[in-house]
Amino acid sequence: MSSTPDLDMLAAEYALGTLEGADLDRAIALEASDPVFRQDVLNWQMKLLPMIDAVQPEPVPADFWAKIESKLGPQQSATRVAAPAQASFWQRLFGDGAQSVSMSRRAALATSVGAAIGGFGLAKWLTVPPETPSQIAVLTTDAGAPTAVVSIYKSGIVELIPLQGIAVPDGRIIEVWTLQNRTQGPVSIGRMDQAKRLKLDLNTLQKPETGHLFELTLEPPGGSPTGKPTGPILMKGLVQVGV
Amino acid sequence: MTIDDAIRRCAVGDRGGLAYIYEQEAGRMLGVAKRMVAKAGLAEDVVQDAFLLIWRGAAQFDSTRGQGRGWVYAILRNRALNVLRSEGRLDPLDEAGMAELPSPDESADVLVERIEQSSHLQRCLAALDAMRRKMIVMAFTNGLTHGEIAAHLKMPLGTVKSHIRRALQALKECLK
Repeated sequence: MSSTPDLDMLAAEYALGTLEGADLDRAIALEASDPVFRQDVLNWQMKLLPMIDAVQPEPVPADFWAKIESKLGPQQSATRVAAPAQASFWQRLFGDGAQSVSMSRRAALATSVGAAIGGFGLAKWLTVPPETPSQIAVLTTDAGAPTAVVSIYKSGIVELIPLQGIAVPDGRIIEVWTLQNRTQGPVSIGRMDQAKRLKLDLNTLQKPETGHLFELTLEPPGGSPTGKPTGPILMKGLVQVGV
Repeated sequence: MTIDDAIRRCAVGDRGGLAYIYEQEAGRMLGVAKRMVAKAGLAEDVVQDAFLLIWRGAAQFDSTRGQGRGWVYAILRNRALNVLRSEGRLDPLDEAGMAELPSPDESADVLVERIEQSSHLQRCLAALDAMRRKMIVMAFTNGLTHGEIAAHLKMPLGTVKSHIRRALQALKECLK
């Protein structure tokens, strides 16, 4: 699977380093949220690499390595464990009660989510979890890939469930927003420094309704300085018709 | 050991892995950083930051595809570009600032001559029109924006954007 020609050119220009403004924001967001785009960018970096080999190396100052080493933090005697293998899509969506399902079901979910939540699609493959959401929003990237789900429960709990990791760039965090009406504008309902299940705080807002928007952006540490989204949009989606 | 092996070592907290990458690449990384950010002190900071980012990111990087070296230089160049974007770029007409360096225009020509003759990229760049080849090199190795390239080459901004796009499309076809 590879990017569309349009996205491949965006990846090429991003790798080259000439993007600015909204195009740059779009590429940053895709690189964080879309593994296919991220790989496409790396493929372009590899294609262009022989130019780097033509650059003359420079002599490094005497204490250069010592300075780097001092920034690495205390030396651990135990080895660091690499990131664990990702839980299956279904485990992430419904927690450990779900059985794991093949990747082809993931495509089915993306197109039939509304019906599936009612139990038409999923009941065939899963044990029914203790509480099914009454509504959901499927959040997709600019490239159209489903990347997270917001589950809205009758009890009033609203939860963000990422479907995969997000490669958060250094010096940024993820902020979660909802847009319920244009006059009020987007409201911050959560922050995290990496993709994880997160209970969202809608206490001061209305109950989510069909057509309300959820969106994730990259922001400086501590969140947006303005109280409105300032950084690239990683993914967004609307609350679907409830069942 | 390869760079990819070294990255795997970094992923499990083995500083020997980072030391290997340093031995192999630090000099060239400094050369690239100096081409992009000009000021020597800033270039050194960029390289130091890049090593830290490599160390921290190693566990999430898929080193089984043999693209470790591309990843290392992507981190370096992105760090340099971020510094350029946030600290403001050298005014292309700032004579005093530019006196430290050969003009990106001339140095691009020199660099093109030095690209490994047997590489696929070299043959594909050679097939490009000279002006487009120069723009690609100025963008990638000097970190210049469309606007800065336009100022250096005394061409309209729109023309530069369109040349670069076409050059990338030609490279894409050629490199298949």
